[in-house]
Amino acid sequence: MKHAHALLGAALLGGTALAAAVSFAARPETVAVEIVAGERYLGVNQLARLLGATKYWRADVRQLTLRAGAHAITLTEDNPFVVVDAATEWLATPVISRAGELHVPVALLERLPSDSTLARLYFDERVDRVVVLPSGGVVGSPRLTVSEAGTRIVFPADRPEDALVVSRSRAHFQVRTSGFFSGGLPDSLPPGGLVRRMIERESVVGSAFEFEVDPLAAGYRLVTDRRMRRITLELDRTAGPGLLAFAPEGAPGPRTLRTIVIDPGHGGADAGVVVGELSEKDLTLALARRLQSEIQRRLRAKVVLTRDDDRALSIEERAEAANRARADLVLSLHFDGFAGPATRGASVLVPPATYAAAEGGARPPIAVVPWRDVGTRHAVQSRALAEAIMAALELHDRGPTHLRELLPHGLLGVNAPGLVLECATLTSRADRERLASGGVAALAVAIADGVVAYQRNE
Amino acid sequence: MRTALTVVIVLALVVVTAALFLRRREVHAPAAVLVDSLQAGIRAATLYFAAPDGRELIAEARELAEPGTLHARVDLLVRELDLGPRGNGVAALPAGTALRAVYLDERGLLTLDVSRAFQQGFRGGSTAEYLAVASLVRTVSANVPGVERVLITCGGAPLSTLGGHIALDRPLDVTEWY
Repeated sequence: MKHAHALLGAALLGGTALAAAVSFAARPETVAVEIVAGERYLGVNQLARLLGATKYWRADVRQLTLRAGAHAITLTEDNPFVVVDAATEWLATPVISRAGELHVPVALLERLPSDSTLARLYFDERVDRVVVLPSGGVVGSPRLTVSEAGTRIVFPADRPEDALVVSRSRAHFQVRTSGFFSGGLPDSLPPGGLVRRMIERESVVGSAFEFEVDPLAAGYRLVTDRRMRRITLELDRTAGPGLLAFAPEGAPGPRTLRTIVIDPGHGGADAGVVVGELSEKDLTLALARRLQSEIQRRLRAKVVLTRDDDRALSIEERAEAANRARADLVLSLHFDGFAGPATRGASVLVPPATYAAAEGGARPPIAVVPWRDVGTRHAVQSRALAEAIMAALELHDRGPTHLRELLPHGLLGVNAPGLVLECATLTSRADRERLASGGVAALAVAIADGVVAYQRNE
Repeated sequence: MRTALTVVIVLALVVVTAALFLRRREVHAPAAVLVDSLQAGIRAATLYFAAPDGRELIAEARELAEPGTLHARVDLLVRELDLGPRGNGVAALPAGTALRAVYLDERGLLTLDVSRAFQQGFRGGSTAEYLAVASLVRTVSANVPGVERVLITCGGAPLSTLGGHIALDRPLDVTEWY
């Protein structure tokens, strides 16, 4: 009964306003304010959600208490006084009721306690939105300076110590911070610098930036200064003490591919995705055989299949087969399936460039990589392979394609560049029709095109 | 005549002053509220479902009664995920998945033991697998303060993978699942 009473209270407060799905953006959440008689208000349902607070409604006195952790905020309808913990705060305008929901003036946000137990809310006047700040606070616009020695990029940040290099490849060098990026990136980069491109990347918490680093850069250093509250990324032309190496990329020009291992996914009792007559384990095997002959014909490389019949293999057996063959490349073939009505196309899983090996004259700290994660040593080549195959699939009208940087289960312990390729989505009617029209042979040609492009490295 | 006018003006002033005074008295600072502890609170939880194109997650806010314990809270979240979306998202968690046990240590590692239906009910490829795990990890981390990593176990035993594409043998960093 009491539960029902509470639910009734929620309904009175306009709980239905929150039922609609909102599009997920991997950035701090923002909520638009409402303007009533020239004043800016935020609905309490949104406020409670942003604060992660629980609502207690007392209908007899039209009073709502939001509780989050050790904090309590009490609001009363048509009353400008708000109790925040033990303190009574007076707001210039009262709490109002609109459409059955209390609304509070945004001025309240400045009176909320600021500690780690309560979400930090920030009213962005420029866009009339309330922002939930991540734990790292705010990261500001970067300042770039170019010198003969190299390039420095400096970000002001509330918590610089949280900054982290998450990808060390020159083509996709990524730095993640824990703060909300409130600034902007420069429209153009200074000439002669070591940064060719700079974009903001999606990040679940805080913000992330990706840099395309010039091949002339010999090493990098990330310096976090808590006192000055800034993050500095230094890219130097010459390798020196304290500099870290980028992820190994291999020499320019054609790559040597002597042995290619193709791993048809699933098998035996594990059929994988099954849609009607189509079974993933059979399709991967048929595709692997076609791809084997296609690559042998075009690259004259030795191509090894981890299985050439319908049997189950453990992940260790697959990795052992690839490592024993001293593979220069591993292609783990799969077909996707998901109930999403608009899910279609191909997707690729590749190891992330988390670790870097010593390179050039730099002497980075020794990174001990568990054998399980050895595939991350080949992350740069794996990504290059993924991009080549995705481009080929798109050219053959086998898209859309999608890339995820995540060490896949199928590449655990595999000491070679490789990827898991979901060649098509069997649950998609359009993909099944494409597969039926060209068969696995057409798909094999498209993938082989990508492998050849990777080998040429042009 | 002047006396009458003066009286009227004085009376008007008195009325206006009284009205202002009374209006001011209507507005009073509320006393620090003693929340009725017997009354259940309502909290907006953020649930994550798959986008229709399977490329990302979609957040859906839902008002839920506030449970008193960690187990009750996570159990409610898993139940709501299992019920499916009300908006335009797609359910990503294998049907019938339920919480068996949950433990949050002081270093932010949440161990989440789910029922065997999580593994047995799984159908699909790497997209389905990624979204099932991401839906679970994002939802619990968004609604349980202090969670930094999530270790998923199934039926009380370690789980190396769900469908053969995503490695689950290690704790998952919540910042990497979106």
